[in-house]
Amino acid sequence: MEIKYTIQGLLVYMTIAAYLLAFITTILRRPKIGHALYLLGFAIAVCAFGYRWYHVRHVPLQNLFEVFLCLGMIYPVSLFCRRVLRVGGYAADMLIGAIVLFPAGFVFNAEPQQLPPALQSWLFTPHVAVYMFSYIFMAKATFQAICQLAGRNPKPGENLLPSEEATYRIVCVGFPLLTLGLILGSYWGKLAWGDYWGWDPKELWSLASWLIFLGYFHYRYMFGKKHPGINSLWAVAGMAAIIITLLWVNLSRLFPGLHSYAS
Amino acid sequence: MHKYRRTIIWLGLVLIIVLIVLSIYGAFIGAERAEQFFNQPPAVVYWTALATLLIIGIAAFRRLLRVPGLLLIHVGCVLILAGGMWGSRGGHNLQKKLFGIDKIRKGRMVIYEGKNENHVALDDSREQKELPFSLKLKDFRIEYYQPVYLQIQTRQGRQWKVPVEIGKEFSLGDEAGTIKIVKSYENFKIGMEEGKSAPFDDPSPGSNPAIEVQITEPGGQTSIQYVFELFPGHSHGQDKFSLSYHRVISDYISELQIIEGDNVVAEKDIEVNHPLRFGGYHFYQSSYDDKAGQYTVLQVVSDTGLYVVYAGYWLLCIGTIWHMWLRHIFSRLKVKSI
Repeated sequence: MEIKYTIQGLLVYMTIAAYLLAFITTILRRPKIGHALYLLGFAIAVCAFGYRWYHVRHVPLQNLFEVFLCLGMIYPVSLFCRRVLRVGGYAADMLIGAIVLFPAGFVFNAEPQQLPPALQSWLFTPHVAVYMFSYIFMAKATFQAICQLAGRNPKPGENLLPSEEATYRIVCVGFPLLTLGLILGSYWGKLAWGDYWGWDPKELWSLASWLIFLGYFHYRYMFGKKHPGINSLWAVAGMAAIIITLLWVNLSRLFPGLHSYAS
Repeated sequence: MHKYRRTIIWLGLVLIIVLIVLSIYGAFIGAERAEQFFNQPPAVVYWTALATLLIIGIAAFRRLLRVPGLLLIHVGCVLILAGGMWGSRGGHNLQKKLFGIDKIRKGRMVIYEGKNENHVALDDSREQKELPFSLKLKDFRIEYYQPVYLQIQTRQGRQWKVPVEIGKEFSLGDEAGTIKIVKSYENFKIGMEEGKSAPFDDPSPGSNPAIEVQITEPGGQTSIQYVFELFPGHSHGQDKFSLSYHRVISDYISELQIIEGDNVVAEKDIEVNHPLRFGGYHFYQSSYDDKAGQYTVLQVVSDTGLYVVYAGYWLLCIGTIWHMWLRHIFSRLKVKSI
């Protein structure tokens, strides 16, 4: 663990602080101040991402530091979920934002890198960006699934969906993105390495996470809301597979493969 | 739900769970073994069962036929499986037996600069096969990111980083003096000139990149030091600075011509992410001669089944986006307009 004494590091720490303050003020029933701080945190996160982009001279989605920097810009997703999907968990999103920025601030190396030839493709940005969006949605779905398992539902006056239905609705938004990420990756693999499917550990983990959500849809189609706990467990398992795809495969030397440049 | 439909969807769920488990297992054994594992006869039985069940499901569930998004998703999956199986090792063997099509599935070819080549070393065996056309390598080159930086470090740990720009002098401060990049070499060699050793850039095949650096002490004394890219630790005991430089590769480029008979029928520079497509094959930049830069290594891959897979991808994408996003957006807009 190391502290980054750079402008980049400072921006990351300011975002974390703003998100944490937003979370605390929101749970202390000061929602307006919480919202303002959340918005401020998002503005700083955008600056941090933009600064990184300017610094490395390419879309900063190459390594885990940059990917987590991107994940920290969670605000539009949580606003979309609340306004359009009527899904709660607004305060939790602030905490998720702070949590994903923590490794960017203290763990991952921020040394700028030049893009290796394989990453110089028009598919680089859409493939990674689509995956990042889907991961944020799936993280939110998992939070709702955990709420369902813990027996916590929104209060009647809040005009929000019950946790089980909220999980389903967010997974429905995230799943096409997950599919698109997988297919764009496969098409890119064909252009760069000659195979649209290389049986690489990261590819197999991403397939496993896609299949888990596919299983979730089939199970929910079969049983509806009869076993809400099992529905939620599918979503939690899907998120666990996503975390392994994103982190473990990149960090662990257990799975050397074609995606090792992302570590 | 009818009993037989329930059975189909249960079977579908079981096959999904089996594939989840197999994918996780495959992730632990590494790509090469996973590829073998997923192409073994039991796996082929599994893929066939999955494709068959998908087709039965499409026929049995009226909902799949009524809801276009769901239909596209399931048909897309069938196409991906069918295309994948048709383009696999087993699929190529089957095509050879049934239709006499003897296509190279996957292999590699080494082409020297200025030479024609049509022999492909197969990945699946130790055999070589010939393509019905030849490839000529006009030139192979490597491009590097600019600028390249020279790293300078003193024994006390002070560090500088200066761009490698020929003829430019950089000040390292009052205590350290100045440093100037005098010359760069692609293939550094030392010869004898008038009884003295003299470095020169050897035009014959080989690669030994180096730069010549002139160091000027604060007192005015100058010395020459050579920095070798491939031997970063090279220095003498009396050297004041430890110097190193490393060029980062931005691209590998093979300039190719396709030759049929005596005619050049196509020309293309292939790079990573920009393969050449010709005659039912794709050619990829795979490796190169890192000692002398005299040849390139291309990967040759058959495109059998590929476009069926791509069609499946399109259907799967359109189906998911339509079913989970667009139809909801359109129905909302419809309600609003009413």
